[in-house]
Amino acid sequence: MTRRLLQSQYLVLLFCGVLFAALAPFTPGLASAHNFANLLGNLAPLLVVAVGQTLVLIVGGIDLSVTSTIALTSVVGGFVMNGDTGWLRGSPAAAPIALIVMLGLGGLVGAFNGLAVTRLRMPAFMVTLTTMMFVSGFAIWLAQSRNLPNLPAAFTVLGSRLWFALPIAATLAGFTHLLLTRSLFGHWLRAVGSNARTAHVSGVPVNAVVIAAYVASGVLAASASVLYTGRLETSSPVLGQRILLDVIGATVIGGTSLFGGKGKVLWTVFGVLFLTLLDNALNLLGLSHFTIMMVKGGVILLAALLDTARTRWLTA
Amino acid sequence: MKKLHAVFLFLALVLTGCDKSESSPGSNTANSKPLSIGIAFETLQTEYWVAGYEAIKAEAAKRGFTVVEAVADSDANRQFEQVKNFITRQVDGIILVPKDASTCLPMIKAANAANIPIVLFNRPAGKGDAKSVAVVADNFALTKETVTYMISEAKKSGKKHQAMVLLGDLGDINAIGRRDGFDAAVKEAPEIVEVVARVPTEWNQEKAQAGMVNALQAHPDISFIFTSSDFLLPSIVSALKGAAKYHRIGATGHVLLGGFDGDATAFAMLKDGYLDATGVQDVYFEAQQSVQAIVDLRAGKQLPEVIRDPGFVIHQGNSKEKAAQMWGANARKK
Repeated sequence: MTRRLLQSQYLVLLFCGVLFAALAPFTPGLASAHNFANLLGNLAPLLVVAVGQTLVLIVGGIDLSVTSTIALTSVVGGFVMNGDTGWLRGSPAAAPIALIVMLGLGGLVGAFNGLAVTRLRMPAFMVTLTTMMFVSGFAIWLAQSRNLPNLPAAFTVLGSRLWFALPIAATLAGFTHLLLTRSLFGHWLRAVGSNARTAHVSGVPVNAVVIAAYVASGVLAASASVLYTGRLETSSPVLGQRILLDVIGATVIGGTSLFGGKGKVLWTVFGVLFLTLLDNALNLLGLSHFTIMMVKGGVILLAALLDTARTRWLTA
Repeated sequence: MKKLHAVFLFLALVLTGCDKSESSPGSNTANSKPLSIGIAFETLQTEYWVAGYEAIKAEAAKRGFTVVEAVADSDANRQFEQVKNFITRQVDGIILVPKDASTCLPMIKAANAANIPIVLFNRPAGKGDAKSVAVVADNFALTKETVTYMISEAKKSGKKHQAMVLLGDLGDINAIGRRDGFDAAVKEAPEIVEVVARVPTEWNQEKAQAGMVNALQAHPDISFIFTSSDFLLPSIVSALKGAAKYHRIGATGHVLLGGFDGDATAFAMLKDGYLDATGVQDVYFEAQQSVQAIVDLRAGKQLPEVIRDPGFVIHQGNSKEKAAQMWGANARKK
């Protein structure tokens, strides 16, 4: 029974249920419809960026630059469409063009990462760490540390209204899920992550697959930026600066391997749900900031340890 | 797949069945219960914010109110989630230290929609249709007064001083007020002070120190420094020591130093004779006014959009009489 439970890919979802059931009686408002909407609203942008991270982790890489991609695309989108100084201020085309520019820019950052990893044979950690520093600094320099408020309602509605944000996140996650499970590209991603040399010998275009994973991660980070920026109704050069651990933590808690070859979008959905629920419940409990940080860190560590133990047990 | 369905069913049952206390957010259903106030701070990274946080909690406790705390770790999105959590908990009022003037607008709107009074502590919101009350120091006036005092001290030397200013995060309206206050003061004394370096710090000590080291290399004759926040003083001291320019007031080569906030480091430097002046924000006044504003707004009173903390300048000439009012002096005693 225990073995079957540990083998289940729904273990993290079960943890979510247990966490919810255990805390609901003591946590004011946790089980209310209002909070349910909060939870989903918090979950949507994090899920989008974590899905991109899942693809990169599956090919055996890591993308530390997602947070700075969120910030840069937010700022550039703001430059295009803000109602005060935006290049297209007042134009009905401002929001759609800003959206295209943001997604394109995210893809460009991802393409740079992918090319550096494949062509220059640099470790993904170093490439994306330096990209993070450069892009983050560039975003702050571009904006001169200033926020760009007064964004068009046609844009902000995407992130600020749950009935827009959630379907967007669900569509992107669903599409990526199909890509991973039903397409040749999905098989290639896992093959490259499991053993790039074998994949190459088998005819998989390894470099192209790795670059595509980073491009997808960049585009998804930009999509998350659309949701985060819309939610705050402001473009900010430090947007998302603090969520990197949540992104990687949620992906790994879900069960995607840091060593490549293993991962599912569904697992990431569960990981994001778990982290979001934990954060939400601890906040509602009214615990101090320091207690929340310690509990959250402890729970993530526990989940990671459990995952490691499970993997060892199942492969023993 | 069946197992997944079972788990979803379980979650749905729990979600729909657990909540027994549903009512409209912000409604005042139990007048006999003590007021609960949600306190959402952007960060607790500097002494000023910690002092403010403690002062608000103490003020609330004095009145028998309960508090729910949240710190956003400089993440505006997280802060938005925390404010929404307060609304879910149906707190009676929210005191917010926003990350900046614009990202707080949706938070204020959410509180407005839930009919929960919201007060901004020490940082006002930008322009918009969101309704809030802000309790803030008069950054411009207090900085101008502080820098004017420094200029009067500089005048005594009879020479023209090269000046450096450390700017805060210019997305923060307080930082802009302090920059403008500095500029207004030095503009009135061009024969005494010439600004040769403006160091952007984005409220970051490392950036402040690196910027200072560079500026001191480029302009080794700098003899007048104003920082937009006292929490950057350790970076200034370190950079000045590195350039062998850290001397007591009265000693040859002393660099005129001024700041803003009135923290424990500033108090110690003032007492030890290294700091010439600092503009002190009255954290106790601001905390008291913030909690009182929640009470007043709940009672339906009309309040101004901004309640000003006049603050005061403490310097070598009045430090003995003013120290008791300086929160940094009290923080040091704890």
